[in-house]
Amino acid sequence: MFKVTFKFENGNETVGYALEGESLLDVAKKMNVAIDAPCNGNAACGKCKVKLVGGELDTKKTSHISDEEFAQGWRLACVSKINADVEVMVPDIASAYRSRMKVADLSSAEEIQIFEKTKADMSEAGIEFENDLDIITVTMEEPSLDDTMPDNERLTWAVDAACGVEKVKLPFAVLQKLSETLRKSRFELKCIIRKASEKVEVLDIFPATEEPRICGLAVDIGTTTVSALIIDMRTGEILAKGSSGNGQIRYGADVINRIIEQQKEGGRKKLQDAIIKETLNPMIHQMCGSIGIKPRQIYRACIAGNTTMNHLLLGVDADPVRMEPFIPTFFETNSVYAHDLGLHLYEHARVIMSPNIGSYVGGDITAGTLASTIWNKEEMSLFIDLGTNGELVFGNSEFMMSCACSAGPAFEGGDISCGMRATDGAIEACAIDKETMEPTFTIVGDEGQKPVGLCGSGIIDVISELFRCGIISPKGKFIREGARVRHDQYGMGSYVLAYKKDAASVKDIEITEVDIDSFIRAKGAIFSAIRVMLQSLDFDVSMIDHVYVAGGIGSGINMRNAVSIGMFPDIEMEKFTYIGNSSLSGAYAILFSSEAEAKVSEVAHNMTYLELSNEPTYMDEFVASCFLPHTDAGLFPSVTMK
Amino acid sequence: MPFTAKSGKFNAKINTVAVGTGEKAITLGGENVLPFYSFDDAIENAPKVGIEITDGGMESEPECVQKLYEGCTTVVDMAKKAVTFEGVDFLSIRLEGGDPNGKNRPTEELVQIVKDVADAVDVPLVVCGCKNVEKDAELLDKAAAALEGRNAMILAAKEENYKTVGASAGLAYKQVVGAESAVDINLAKQLNVLLTQLGVDSKTIVMNAGTAAVGYGFDYVISTLDRVKAAALSQGDATLQMPIITPVASETWTVKESTATEEDMPAWGNLEERGIDMEIETAAAVLAAGSDAVILKHPESVRTIKAMITELI
Repeated sequence: MFKVTFKFENGNETVGYALEGESLLDVAKKMNVAIDAPCNGNAACGKCKVKLVGGELDTKKTSHISDEEFAQGWRLACVSKINADVEVMVPDIASAYRSRMKVADLSSAEEIQIFEKTKADMSEAGIEFENDLDIITVTMEEPSLDDTMPDNERLTWAVDAACGVEKVKLPFAVLQKLSETLRKSRFELKCIIRKASEKVEVLDIFPATEEPRICGLAVDIGTTTVSALIIDMRTGEILAKGSSGNGQIRYGADVINRIIEQQKEGGRKKLQDAIIKETLNPMIHQMCGSIGIKPRQIYRACIAGNTTMNHLLLGVDADPVRMEPFIPTFFETNSVYAHDLGLHLYEHARVIMSPNIGSYVGGDITAGTLASTIWNKEEMSLFIDLGTNGELVFGNSEFMMSCACSAGPAFEGGDISCGMRATDGAIEACAIDKETMEPTFTIVGDEGQKPVGLCGSGIIDVISELFRCGIISPKGKFIREGARVRHDQYGMGSYVLAYKKDAASVKDIEITEVDIDSFIRAKGAIFSAIRVMLQSLDFDVSMIDHVYVAGGIGSGINMRNAVSIGMFPDIEMEKFTYIGNSSLSGAYAILFSSEAEAKVSEVAHNMTYLELSNEPTYMDEFVASCFLPHTDAGLFPSVTMK
Repeated sequence: MPFTAKSGKFNAKINTVAVGTGEKAITLGGENVLPFYSFDDAIENAPKVGIEITDGGMESEPECVQKLYEGCTTVVDMAKKAVTFEGVDFLSIRLEGGDPNGKNRPTEELVQIVKDVADAVDVPLVVCGCKNVEKDAELLDKAAAALEGRNAMILAAKEENYKTVGASAGLAYKQVVGAESAVDINLAKQLNVLLTQLGVDSKTIVMNAGTAAVGYGFDYVISTLDRVKAAALSQGDATLQMPIITPVASETWTVKESTATEEDMPAWGNLEERGIDMEIETAAAVLAAGSDAVILKHPESVRTIKAMITELI
């Protein structure tokens, strides 16, 4: 056994023991040290860099680490094996996904506007924003030797009288504190109730002198990022907003790797803990803290996530999602409560899961579709959620077709050597001068923030600009030389976006032919999915009236550039709308409005799921789409060929 | 009412590409009908048949082919003999010895062979590389330079080396550029687009859309050729209207049907016949699917395929 010490930039350290030959990344996982490993330790992504500060490691040098970095002690955790006592420094860049937890008591005006817009659109579509939670005040006669009715019957009678409903349900939690609360408040209570047509459930009781609040939690669980809202369930007001990386990331960047991980012994528990104990609960506490409420004041939650995330959250086996014939354990569920999952909410809070409709089209898409209101329009709309999986919905008030394609992690910076998620230092927009080939950027973060890497929207811009300037060929290979274009010893070309001296990174920020190739595949997957889905319906892109682009990744997206590289169909720019995190807006609507909850279920039932892997033309369309903008230039008339 | 057959000719046509110079020059393409549909419209240029020799000379030929070149000692001797066989329209020399994983013969040596062969014959020439993309970039560049003025076909530029091969053969030395892709209509088209964007005249490009011996995933070859022709003619896709050449010999003479000895496989019959059959069957099928030229090895196959073409057109 050797001693392994992980040091963190904030001065903390974690010490543990490992056997000879164990990989450092595995040791880190076991010790709950978060090291970002989107490729799950296949030495493919180069993201699990750690710095050797003491002892030694049996390591291999890979192409992800330059000679200079190696000399400074940088190692990839996944290819480093324990062969002695060792001390390593885990840099912030590697643990970025956890430190990225952000909580704001009030969202930016822009964000609030997106939710307001969703609410307005849905109200227009006839959805009433009301729910079945309420607070009532009841006053009871105090018991005496002549009036010996037990407390629970007394309350039941009172609630019945107040609501006019005979069937009253008192959960165990209420019974437990009933006697004390009644006597403290001299038999005058405020009850948080849930009204259904023929019964009332008393969720919680308070002395009448208190001012209880009913809060709700809406969560979007993405494969990469988790975002959440706490709202007032009576007014719909957004009280707090938070976001964080998904703690499951260290078990793999995509759903497939995570499903494989959960198959291992104790894997389901590990993945469930990663999302609930390490991600959601800390987030709930931080958000509640920021607005001065207690987690137990949250009486309902709505969760929208893809099918795999939903399975992993509930701790049910997700393996069948991955295996043909791709049958998940559930599409819809209506009996999940906070205490079942260990979520830090009111223990009897109902957790609504936005329904899944296929193994790869999940609750995030049904929630997003609900929010986009395409189910209420006569015109044809295309809804695109750009995530690790690209998901599409096409249709109108009469029909909806959905499909999913594996775009890979490229939109979120995975698989890209200088890729990163859209956090501080990410280049989110870029323009290149055709003459000088010099780039200019917009960078996420405060003024003066130096670039660290490229996020999805930045990659779209860079590739589109490199192509426009004739620096890369339609195949994504470098065809023009210049000061910023380099070739390595194998002839692989790259373009330097920022030299080390101008960047907040340990090396030059450059985009390579391999990166461009990965991205071209991702955009090819999206575009070919659009084509195949439309063809299966005998539709043409010209028949699309609206395109709604969703996903956290898309915030800085330049639609014109996305069309120029052949990611989206070449139709009028006015038809494109960016609708932000529609999964979260949808979860918000489902949480707050009972009608929306019923509607999302109806929407899910009305959607047809197209399994692209069964479509013989998909592979062909995919190869045709892996070209800038497309092998069939006729599909992109507005993109002038250079 | 009398039956009037409707002509199936298309408005679009395949590009015509001339290979070689002088009297023996050949023209590929030009048709506006499906392969051999001469009843729909006249087929201007019948598909052409080439014969293949390699830099390895006699040594690298199967026994049954060697005996037909009896008396030849050098590659040049073989070239002179090859062009005399019945039905030969052009000569192809495959520089397989250049492969770094094989004999790794130096470029200069191979280019000298190409020059000597070119000086000895006056038929159109096709130069095939060694299939290693890096070596081919260098080899085909030098070969294109050595054959300046002969309007030879350089086979081939691939996605990995199209810049060097395309620029050399197509732009610098004005040869015909072969564009090779791996049995995928989209990849074939993409390479044509890349070559034309490089500045190569689309009227000097001939595609090798990939091939295989019959029975070796051959259905993909046929459907690819079918679809290329359909896109070129019925959809008028200018980026797929290049004529197609298919090197057949290099595929069929290496499969077990053409190599297993009679001792090992007594039930399979005569080895030479098997080799010829494989070559003829493959060639006939790719021609029927739209190939405008085939490259064969055995003189008997050349004669048979030529006869088939003449009969059908």
